[in-house]
Amino acid sequence: MKPALLLALVVVVVLAASSSLLVGEVGVSPAQAVRAVLAAQPNLTTLVLWDIRLPRTLLALLIGGILGLSGAVLQGLLRNPLAEPGLLGVSSGASFGAVIAIYYGLTSATSLAAPVFGLVGALVTTGAAMALARRGGTLALILAGAAVSAIAAAGVELALNFSPNPYAAYEITTWLMGSLADRSWDHVKLAAPFIVAGGVLLLLTGRGLDALALGEAQAESLGVDVRRLRLLALFGTALGVGAATAVAGAIGFVGLVAPHLMRPLVGHRPGQVLIPAALAGALIVTMADLATRLIHLGPELKLGVLISLIGAPFFLWLVIHVQRRSP
Amino acid sequence: MSGLRLVGVSVKREGRTVLTEASAAFPPGSLTAVIGPNGAGKSTLLAVAAGLLKPHAGALTLDGRPLETFGRQALARRRAYLPQSPRADWPISVERVVALGLTPYLPAFGRLPDELETQVETALRSHDLLALRHRRATELSGGELSRTMLARAVVGDPDLLLVDEPTAGLDPRHALDAAHRLGQRAQAGRTVAMAIHDLHLALRFADQVVALKDGCILAAGPLREVLDEPLLRRLYDMPARLIRDPDGVSVRFLG
Amino acid sequence: MRCGGLDGLKLIVLASLVGALGCSIPRAVARPVRVMSINGCSDQLVLALADPRTIASVTWLSRDPEGSYMWRAAQHVPVNHGSAEEVVRDHPDLVIAGSYTTPATRALLVKLHYRLLVLQPADSFDDIRRETRTVASALGATERGRALIAHMDATLTRLAADKGPPLRVAAWDGAGFSAAPGSLYASILKVAGARNVTAQTQGMGGSTPEVEKLIATAPQLLVAGAPGFEKPGRQTDVAHHPLVRRFWSDRTLVVPLSSYECGTPFSADAALSLREQMRAKLARAQTPLPFAPVSTP
Repeated sequence: MKPALLLALVVVVVLAASSSLLVGEVGVSPAQAVRAVLAAQPNLTTLVLWDIRLPRTLLALLIGGILGLSGAVLQGLLRNPLAEPGLLGVSSGASFGAVIAIYYGLTSATSLAAPVFGLVGALVTTGAAMALARRGGTLALILAGAAVSAIAAAGVELALNFSPNPYAAYEITTWLMGSLADRSWDHVKLAAPFIVAGGVLLLLTGRGLDALALGEAQAESLGVDVRRLRLLALFGTALGVGAATAVAGAIGFVGLVAPHLMRPLVGHRPGQVLIPAALAGALIVTMADLATRLIHLGPELKLGVLISLIGAPFFLWLVIHVQRRSP
Repeated sequence: MSGLRLVGVSVKREGRTVLTEASAAFPPGSLTAVIGPNGAGKSTLLAVAAGLLKPHAGALTLDGRPLETFGRQALARRRAYLPQSPRADWPISVERVVALGLTPYLPAFGRLPDELETQVETALRSHDLLALRHRRATELSGGELSRTMLARAVVGDPDLLLVDEPTAGLDPRHALDAAHRLGQRAQAGRTVAMAIHDLHLALRFADQVVALKDGCILAAGPLREVLDEPLLRRLYDMPARLIRDPDGVSVRFLG
Repeated sequence: MRCGGLDGLKLIVLASLVGALGCSIPRAVARPVRVMSINGCSDQLVLALADPRTIASVTWLSRDPEGSYMWRAAQHVPVNHGSAEEVVRDHPDLVIAGSYTTPATRALLVKLHYRLLVLQPADSFDDIRRETRTVASALGATERGRALIAHMDATLTRLAADKGPPLRVAAWDGAGFSAAPGSLYASILKVAGARNVTAQTQGMGGSTPEVEKLIATAPQLLVAGAPGFEKPGRQTDVAHHPLVRRFWSDRTLVVPLSSYECGTPFSADAALSLREQMRAKLARAQTPLPFAPVSTP
């Protein structure tokens, strides 16, 4: 059952990624793509495929993957189906860090400034939200996340208020909508190491998360170091989602939706859902990014906006569903 | 000295001493009932004994070896612990919940090795769970959940089994069944301890008793020698009478 | 605060008439002694048309060399930050605001019986003529207004006389908006002899053109509005794209905000200077353009 599921997911993700390479301003048919790749001379198609669409598609896969993975890990860790990096304030923390890096000239000093600051911001907010919500369940978690996000959002506004750039407010608003347009190999090089490192940390939590389904006491008794597990989840999420937010802006709900779609397929085991959730996240972001290029409503439809349009109603459904289930 | 031994163990929580210089022995092949009123420190005693809570003072040994010298994994293989009202937070199947008991034997990644699957099979069978193996653990009745959790605890065949309130919330039949299974486990040569309020079950199945009140051990030793009317009176601040009849011994409180 | 029948005409709200319906008919009034501008674009017209001694104050924005064409003249005039409180402090005879001035400020000024002139944004050279005449007549500087418009028209004639081959450019402003059709920026590019190929195919000017669009349309020049290239921000992101660096690093022209933000009689001069800069840039450009442009519907 499981190898078949993984294989099916991988095939779908590869198909989505390939079609993502063919869609855009310049029409490219599969035959043209193959010819262009085989051609000795660089041409318009290779340029578009290699320098524009491939980095964009790779980022969509990486970012979707880390969002789905961190959502699955956080849900398993907090034993709460509503947990998600965005809800814990990761995105707002990362945005705060990135805004400071971008608008106070740090990015011109080193291009690593945005991801590193994003990461630190994510670490601080996630840590605070998780510490606040350790005891108290769903409501405490949502409240703590909302409070921490609000503080980070206030920080973003303060930073913009004093930004030397008069257009900062407009830019950051559109940036926070999330987009992968025009992301190049530079962005891949910047974000990929952090995302991969974060992903590795998150994948290490699998066994522990399975045992944690029985509660902290039983997990500890089964040899799971719950404190270490929490740190892995915290640093993994901050590293991966922090870097993802720093290059693509805030993309919400993927971390919430992806694990939920996959959970029934793996018998609800929190550790088993990690890899499928990562693949589902990659699929969602790749498909959504593809859709933003197919839907022409004038200005670019932002990736984050499109995903939120689908994700927010799902979140609402989930809140009602969870409320009904737990008294 | 085999089995579990506590010598002068003290535990403080938020500045308050919840366990004071507790000394007790949990010999192998016996079921020890940890009894006492609410808030006496029974759960604390079990958590310390399981190595989940660091004592403030005192020493614990398992088979003569200090407990803290066991590695996390090694200890997890030798002792199992079930907290009060254990439950699964996700709708995982019974079979997989039981398999979680083998966590300390698992490689970091990959599937459960085949020989371990056989152990799961054995545990399912011996706990009458074969028919329920695909049911979701979140949808079980109290008795079914209790059996599932017990199977989860013993699937790795640990030397030491510590169970906090195994009969809480169960109807008489299922409570009896749970206590009976723990007794069987002890008869098979393992060290078993349970915190329990139901003195009737304790009297029927336990070999040893540890009586706790306000964090202090009032008495510890073989049940038949230690458990008497004065002890019960001191424990619960109520006159009590032990009634012996052809069906066994029972307790009647005269408060 | 809209007058039904006046349709697009600006409103001169006379203090004496407030209380009726908040609605009045523009008419020639006595020469105002002191004028105050509380909008960056009306600053430009006031500084160009009024005698500096009659200017109570203009906004602090007008002193910024990057954003204000009249920044030199503004150094000798007091500044304000566009608040009603400053209007009360300076107590001018005429307040000139823009249509983007907050409704709250405008309503408050009307309530305080100030004479308020609200300018509409000028997106074309016709708009510029109209706005210039309006301000000139409100200030009693009709002659000066006429002379500036004549100068502008002469420059436009010069531009039209030397058309040259049309330049294919991709242009956006400092905020990262594309130079959308119908904007002043587009009007200036047009008289400067440039065609914004990305905005044309894009339909609406949403943001900076995507790199893929640049590759597909292969414009000869990128015309990027400052201050984005001066202050840290994200407008520069597109210029950092490896492909943009590869093909357009010596084909990128940075134009100051002051040359396209506000429609003034000097906008034709800005267009003339832009054309010269574009031609010079193109003459020096060495990098070949990416392949043949693809025709997009």
